[in-house]
Amino acid sequence: MKCIVCMTHVPDTASVIKIGADGKHIDESGIKWIVSPYDEYALEEALLLTESKGGEVTVVTYGPQRAEAGLRECLARGAHNAVHIVGGESTLGDSLAIAKVLAAALKDREHDVVLCGIKGVGTDNAQVGPMLAELLGLPHVSGVTKIEWSDASIVAHREVEGGYEVVESPLPAVITAQKGLNEPRYAALKGIMAAKRKPVEKLEVGALGLDESALAGVEATYSVRSLELPPAKEAGKIIQGEDDPKAAAAELVKLLADEAKVF
Amino acid sequence: MDYKVDMRDVKFQLFEWLPTEKLLENEKFADWDRENVEMVLDEGLKIAQEVLAPTNEDGDRIGAQWKDGEVTLPDSFKPAYQTLCEGGWVGIINNPEYGGMGLPEVVGTAVNEFFFGANMSLSLTVLLTRGAGNMIEIFGTDDMRSIFVEKLYSGEWGGTMCLTEPQAGSDVGASKTKAVKQDDGTYLISGEKIFITAGNHDLVENIIHLVLARTPGAPAGTKGLSLFVVPKIWVNPDGSLGEPNDVYCAGIEEKMGIHGSPTTSMVFGQNEKCRGWLLGEELKGMRLMFYMMNAARIEVGLQGSSLGAASHQAAVAYAKERLQSRHWTKFKEKDAPQVPIIEHPDVRRVLTTSKAYAEATRALLMQTSYYIDMTHATGGEEKERYQSYVNVLTPICKAWASHWGVRVADMCLEVYGGYGYTQEYPAEQYLRDAKIACIYEGTNGIQALDFVARKLPLNGGKPIRELLGKAEATFNKLKGDSQLMEPAWMLGAALKTMDTITKELTKRPDGILITLLDAVPILDMVGTILGAHFLLDQAVVARDKLGAILADKGIDPEDEKTYMAFINDNAEAAFYHNKIQTAIHFAYRALPTVTAHAAAIRAGELAPMKVVM
Repeated sequence: MKCIVCMTHVPDTASVIKIGADGKHIDESGIKWIVSPYDEYALEEALLLTESKGGEVTVVTYGPQRAEAGLRECLARGAHNAVHIVGGESTLGDSLAIAKVLAAALKDREHDVVLCGIKGVGTDNAQVGPMLAELLGLPHVSGVTKIEWSDASIVAHREVEGGYEVVESPLPAVITAQKGLNEPRYAALKGIMAAKRKPVEKLEVGALGLDESALAGVEATYSVRSLELPPAKEAGKIIQGEDDPKAAAAELVKLLADEAKVF
Repeated sequence: MDYKVDMRDVKFQLFEWLPTEKLLENEKFADWDRENVEMVLDEGLKIAQEVLAPTNEDGDRIGAQWKDGEVTLPDSFKPAYQTLCEGGWVGIINNPEYGGMGLPEVVGTAVNEFFFGANMSLSLTVLLTRGAGNMIEIFGTDDMRSIFVEKLYSGEWGGTMCLTEPQAGSDVGASKTKAVKQDDGTYLISGEKIFITAGNHDLVENIIHLVLARTPGAPAGTKGLSLFVVPKIWVNPDGSLGEPNDVYCAGIEEKMGIHGSPTTSMVFGQNEKCRGWLLGEELKGMRLMFYMMNAARIEVGLQGSSLGAASHQAAVAYAKERLQSRHWTKFKEKDAPQVPIIEHPDVRRVLTTSKAYAEATRALLMQTSYYIDMTHATGGEEKERYQSYVNVLTPICKAWASHWGVRVADMCLEVYGGYGYTQEYPAEQYLRDAKIACIYEGTNGIQALDFVARKLPLNGGKPIRELLGKAEATFNKLKGDSQLMEPAWMLGAALKTMDTITKELTKRPDGILITLLDAVPILDMVGTILGAHFLLDQAVVARDKLGAILADKGIDPEDEKTYMAFINDNAEAAFYHNKIQTAIHFAYRALPTVTAHAAAIRAGELAPMKVVM
C-alpha cells in the first residue's frame, strides 16, 4: 500500500495566541509549532496499515520553511518519505488554494490512499480533504473514526450527528481522520535518530505548474478582513443558597432565562 | 497529576550555556545534532506529561503491593513502562552496540529530569536497570554481555544493586552474604539484603541483581567483598530462561514516599539453590560497586532537583490562580478585590528562591553530566582532568541537589497554605517522594564525609581549585559590571571565605574533628558557591541575548515603564530577564550562608561534641 499523509504545521494548542500587527494574522513570535493533532491520527493509521500490509508512507506538507520540522517529526514516527512544498504564507486559510497545491503535487505520485486530518487545528475549516478528493477525482470519506482495510476497498465509520455512518468506498480514496481513529504513537529514539537521514523532497509551487501569487490574488476564494481574540471571560456568578434554597433556585432560573438565554 | 517543567530553561542550559552543540560534533555522537536532540527533549517531555505523570498518583495511593513473595505495581505502571521500553528511553545514554541509544549524558540528564519529575517511583526502576546493564557491559565477560546487556538496556529485564544488610547500612563492609565457588565456575549465594529498590515487581519477566557477597576466607570489611550477577530466574547460556533461582522477596517497606517503588527485602539461597556469576575479580566487588554508585549518585541528585523544579512549577501555577487578600498597594482599601497570591511580595520571594535553587541544581547536574561526556570525548591528561572534576562534583550533585530539592519542595508546599498539606494537590507527594534522595545511595552525611575526606584532597586539591577557579573567573569578569557587580563581589567574598577556612582547617590541631563535624556545611558552602557561579555565568549569556532582542525591537532598557511593558508581553525577553533576576536573588539570599557557616567553623564551635545526649 502506498499511503500519502497530508500534514499541516500549526501553533501548539497550548500557545498563547496574540493578534499580529496587521490585525489579520496571529503574531508568530514565541509560538511553538506542532503537527496538527488530527494529522497525527492520519499518520498513525497509515503507519499501522503499512506495518500490517507492507508499503510506504509519504508525508506531504504545503507550508513555510519551519514546517520541515513537522515533516521530520512524522519521519521520526516512522514515515518513509517526506515532500515539502515550500510556501503557503499568502494562501493561509484558503482551503481551495491549499487543495489545489496538494492535488498538483499528488496527481502524478502513486498512491492507494490519501489520509488527512479532518481539519487543521487553528483555522478549523475541515475543507482541504474533501476538496483535494474532488480535484484528484477520488472518492472521500470524512471524519473517520474506524477503518477496516481490504486490498481494493475500505469500510469506514464516520461521525455524524447523534451516531455514526458505516460507509464502503473503493480505493484509492481520500480519508480524513477524526479523533478516536487510533492512538498516535510516540516517536522512538531510534526513529528520531533515523529521521535525520531520511530525505525531505523540496518543491516550489511554481514547479507544480501553479502560480502562488495568483492563488493568493485573483484566484483566492478566501480573505481575512480582521482577526480578533474572543472577549475575555467574565467572572462567574455564585448564588448563595444556604439560607433560602427556594429563592436561590428561582434566581438561578431567572438568570438562565434572562441573561444566559438558555431557554 | 500534571507535570510541568521550564523547558525553555532546560534548552537554554543545554544549548545556550553549555557547548552541547559542539559536543555533538564528536564522532561518537554522529547520529545526533541539535535538531534531533531537541526532538528527543520534546518527545521525552510529552511522554513524561502524557504517560508518566498521569500514573504518579496511582504509584502513591495504590503503591507497590507484596503478597507471598511477589510484588505487584499499579496496573497503570505497566503500559507507561512499556512506552519507555519501546521508545528506547531506558538505554538512552547507553552503548548502541547493545541496543542503547548513544545520546550524551547531558541530554540523558535533561530527559531524566522530566521522567523523575513526572514519576519518580517508576523512573527509579529504569535508573537501576540501566546501571546494572552498564556494569555488566564494562566488567562482565563476553558471554555475560551477550546474555544480559541488551535485555537490560531495552528494559525487558530489570536490574538492582544489592548492598545493604540489616547490620550493614552505611557500613557496607559489615556485609555477611556469602558466595561459595562451585565446580562449574558459578557461585552459591546465600544471605539477606534489605532496602533493595525494585528487587521484585511485575513490570519485567526477569530481574538481574548485582549482589555484594563475601567469599570464604575473604578479609573483613569492604576489601573482602566480591560482586555477583544473580538473576531472579536462571538464564541459560543461549539466553533462554531456566528455573527460578531461589531468590525470594520477603517483604517490602512501608515508606514515607515513593510508594510506587518497591523497597524490598531479598533472601538469596534460602533453599541453597541460588547461583550467581562473579562480576570482575574476587575481592574487587566494592570498587566495582562504586562505579555504579557514583553514576547513581548523580541521578539521585537529579531526582531531588527534578522534584524541586516540578514543585516550583506547580506552586507557580497555583499562585497564579489562587485569590486571597488585597494587593499590597491597596491594603487599606477594604473593598479592594482579592488578588492572585502571586502578587504578594512574600509569595514572590519564595517562588524566586525556589526558582533559583531549581535552576542552580539543574545547572550543577547538567555541568557534571557534560564533564562525564568530555571524559568519553577526550583522551590523556584532558580526560583525567574531566574525570577528576566528575569525582569531586559527584557528592555535591548527590547531596546538594537532593538537599535543596527537598527544601524547594518544602517551601513550595507552603505557598498553597492548608491545601498544600492535603492530597488534593501534588505538593505533599513531591516533598515525600523527594526526601529519599537525601538518604539512599549513601546519606547526605556520608556524601559530605566523602567530599571532605577524599574529594577535597584529591590530586593535592587540584580539581577543587580548578573548579572554584572557574567561579573566581566569573567574579573577575563581573566585578566591575554595573548590573551584576554586587552579586559578583558576594561571590568573590564567599570564595575568599572558602579559601581561608580550607587553609585554616589544615593547620588547626582540631582540624580533623572540625572537618568531620562540619562536613555537611562545607559541602553546602561549595555547592552554594558553584550554584552562584553557574547562575551568574548564565545571567551573562542571558543579558547578551536580551540586549539583542531589545536592540532589535528598539526598546530602551533604561526606560523602565516601556521596558517592563515589553518584558511582560514578550516571553523570550521575559525568560532572559528572569535569568538575570534569578542570579541576583541567589547571590543575595544564598551566598551569605557561606559566611554564616564559616563563622561557626572558624570559631571552632564544638558544642555538639560537648552536649550530653
